[in-house]
Amino acid sequence: MSTMTEERLQGSSRAALRAEKKAITVGVAGNPNSGKSTIINAIAGTRLHVGNWPGVTVEKKSAIFEYGGRKIRIVDLPGTYSLSPYTQEEIIARDYLIHEKPDVILNVVDATNLERNLYLTVQVMELGIPTVVALNIYDEAEKRGHTINRRVMEDMLGVKVIPTVATKKIGLDDLLKSLLEVAENPSAHCPKHLNYGDDIESAAKMLETQIGLTPLAEKYPPRWLAFKLMEGDSQVSGEIKPDDSGLSVSKAVGHLKTAHDSDIESIMADARYAQAFGLTREVLQKTESGNIELTERIDRIVLNRVLGIPIFLAAMWFVFKLTFDVSKPFADWMSAMTAGPFKGWAEAILGLIRAPGWTVSLVTDGVMAGVGSVLVFVPVIFAMMFFITFLEGSGYMARAAFVMDRAMHTIGLHGKSFIPMLLGFGCNVPAIYATRTLENPKDKALTALLVPLMSCGARLPVYVVFIGAFFSAHAGTVLWSLYVMGIVLAIIVGICFKKTLFKGEAPMFIMELPPYRRPSFKSLMIHTWEKGKHFLIKAGTYILAVSILIWFLLNLPWGVENKKDSYLGKVGQIIAPVLEPIGFGNWEAASSLISGVIAKEIVVGTMGEIYVAKPEDEKKNPSTFSEDLKEVGTSFVHAAEDSAANVFSTVGISSLSSKEDEKRAGLKAVIQKTYTPLSAYAFVAFVLLYMPCVVVAIAMRQEFGTWKWFGIAFVYQMTLAWGVAFLIYHGGKLLGIGG
Amino acid sequence: MLPLGLLVSGEQAEIMEIKGCKGAHSLDLEKERPGDEQGRIEDMGIRVGKSVQMLNNGGRGPLLLKVDESRIAMGRGMAMKIMVRRKG
Ligand SMILES: Nc1nc2c(ncn2[C@@H]2O[C@H](COP(=O)(O)OP(=O)(O)OP(=O)(O)O)[C@@H](O)[C@H]2O)c(=O)[nH]1
Ligand SMILES: [Mg+2]
Repeated sequence: MSTMTEERLQGSSRAALRAEKKAITVGVAGNPNSGKSTIINAIAGTRLHVGNWPGVTVEKKSAIFEYGGRKIRIVDLPGTYSLSPYTQEEIIARDYLIHEKPDVILNVVDATNLERNLYLTVQVMELGIPTVVALNIYDEAEKRGHTINRRVMEDMLGVKVIPTVATKKIGLDDLLKSLLEVAENPSAHCPKHLNYGDDIESAAKMLETQIGLTPLAEKYPPRWLAFKLMEGDSQVSGEIKPDDSGLSVSKAVGHLKTAHDSDIESIMADARYAQAFGLTREVLQKTESGNIELTERIDRIVLNRVLGIPIFLAAMWFVFKLTFDVSKPFADWMSAMTAGPFKGWAEAILGLIRAPGWTVSLVTDGVMAGVGSVLVFVPVIFAMMFFITFLEGSGYMARAAFVMDRAMHTIGLHGKSFIPMLLGFGCNVPAIYATRTLENPKDKALTALLVPLMSCGARLPVYVVFIGAFFSAHAGTVLWSLYVMGIVLAIIVGICFKKTLFKGEAPMFIMELPPYRRPSFKSLMIHTWEKGKHFLIKAGTYILAVSILIWFLLNLPWGVENKKDSYLGKVGQIIAPVLEPIGFGNWEAASSLISGVIAKEIVVGTMGEIYVAKPEDEKKNPSTFSEDLKEVGTSFVHAAEDSAANVFSTVGISSLSSKEDEKRAGLKAVIQKTYTPLSAYAFVAFVLLYMPCVVVAIAMRQEFGTWKWFGIAFVYQMTLAWGVAFLIYHGGKLLGIGG
Repeated sequence: MLPLGLLVSGEQAEIMEIKGCKGAHSLDLEKERPGDEQGRIEDMGIRVGKSVQMLNNGGRGPLLLKVDESRIAMGRGMAMKIMVRRKG
């Protein structure tokens, strides 16, 4: 197995590909959190998003790899409990299976919870597509004393059944072999027709024969279509209009209805469930272990009515404290390097090639100051992503939803909406997509509106600069206060929206809580990297471009003496009066905030560029390259030591605050002169709230098909940001703090 | 018979009836909210005849059930629409 590509699957390209290379298409279906994405990652070498909570995958993603000389295209799908979808991401899964007809379906079954998973298997089998069942998470099933007789299961279902442990790569070779075998000889591995009882079967037969006479038979699996028509599935009836096709559904189900005195949907569901139940009884053997699971013991504390929310808040505080402490030495190191040796090298190289003076300034004051100021925070961002990955992998994510359910009810949402919000701490963009898991479209819209209040990784650099300048003694707590401010404001704003835009009762809340699991170190690293890397890519692409643009805007009209008179300076001066009442009515702040609309980390980039050229007092002795290199190395080692030390000194002031100030005056020093602690806090609050970045705007547009929701977000956030900053600044002044 | 929401933590019961609204659900933002609550919870394995154990019922807020091998968190409103019979 070698190369893989990830892209969204498009019908046409898929057909073309199959014609050319005869790739086998495998669609992966199963219950949420059964390990579908983990299996694909293990066999195709992809790095699809994995997490220990239901609803991680919300889009179909495909990967291509080779096995046994055949190309296999494997398609990851969102998890679903049945083929009657309730949420957007479940529709994606169902539509794929029905309309794109993969060559083979890989049905991933959570072996610890056989009966419920088989309920989906039974429905998948109705599609009549060759199927292989993976009994995944077999390790945990065995630990609980469950044994599953796969031979009996294979006989009963007529398809191959392979026990697997995706996280340990056990059974995957067997699985791949079976997939190939089935693809080579599909007719031998078509799932059996399970008998749903005479009444249902005869009605279905009647419809199937009718369907066989129409072109519909080409488009839909006939048995499945017959069942859906009998159930009166609204989506299917909408798609094919049975009356127009000459199908007499009511005649077919007439007898069924009178005989059972119930609606057909329930009769069908019961029939399927009876199959799942029967299968489970035949193949599963349990030895009761009697002792209470660890998960339940943890939940008793974590989900406690009184302790739940304090525990959540404490965990958050701990995360932010650690994020700050662990990453700060590295951030300081990077910042010293970009201001020192790296800058010197760039100047030397440009000098060597005799580049004109202005290009030197463009590179050092523009690109290096701009991109550099952002890159400095890469360690912080990665530390944050690490903790979010841990939260996801451990299973606490779903608990946070449980604990916050009551608070969310006050804003007409339920706990599940809290998951996209928590994901928003990493990046708001995937958080917007994660709203797909919500059953109710109104919930989805309201949740998406509140997501931008969740402080994303891109905002961290701004906080860190300002917190470092004014509050380094309580860095973790101040950082935490900003995140909590986001949550609290989301609740307040939510209440307002509920009273105006989204009237109506809170919808039902139902969600599965997975067992706690210990994520492996390797998978933590991989997924931290996957989350963090786009910040790096962003720095190398559009933050770079914006830095260059800003440099020009700061230096045009050409030869402008004072940056205040540059184009950017002038725009900043126009906006500044608006910011005056909230404590930072200077053009530098105004200009930085404008540029931050593209991405919030650009706020510090622009500040870096604006403040960089203030003449330095000390003239450094030119150092040799090797001296520089040594300095880079040794200071990095020190940073690593400091970081490690900080992990252990959980509370209290970190050990390193004393020595950093002397060296790097720069941005921090200027900020200390320009702001007071109070106006600094007002400023970071403003940055937290003021508007979603461009990429979030695009994501919102894409999810809802209209700019309406972004428009609303824009207006309310601007108002909120200004209002909150005003309250902080003037409230603080009145109380006489930090003025 | 009593509503599921009144079971105390640790109690076991059998589900007798599910009264949640049933009906076509729609995923269209402009339309009313989806109605088929019953279908949704049945798909997740909560069905008439199943044994459930109440793992966490704090008296308000959501509650946590154990059904077969899965732990399911459920809003209180829904839990009051599910009728159960206590088991010894
Ligand atoms: N013990 C054990 N854990 C597993 C196994 N396979 C997956 N997991 C864990 O199960 C959790 C869910 O895995 P995912 O791959 O995200 O599940 P999914 O089916 O893609 O879930 P959705 O995308 O939400 O539908 C993760 O925490 C995995 O580490 C396994 O074989 N054994
Ligand atoms: Mg997945």
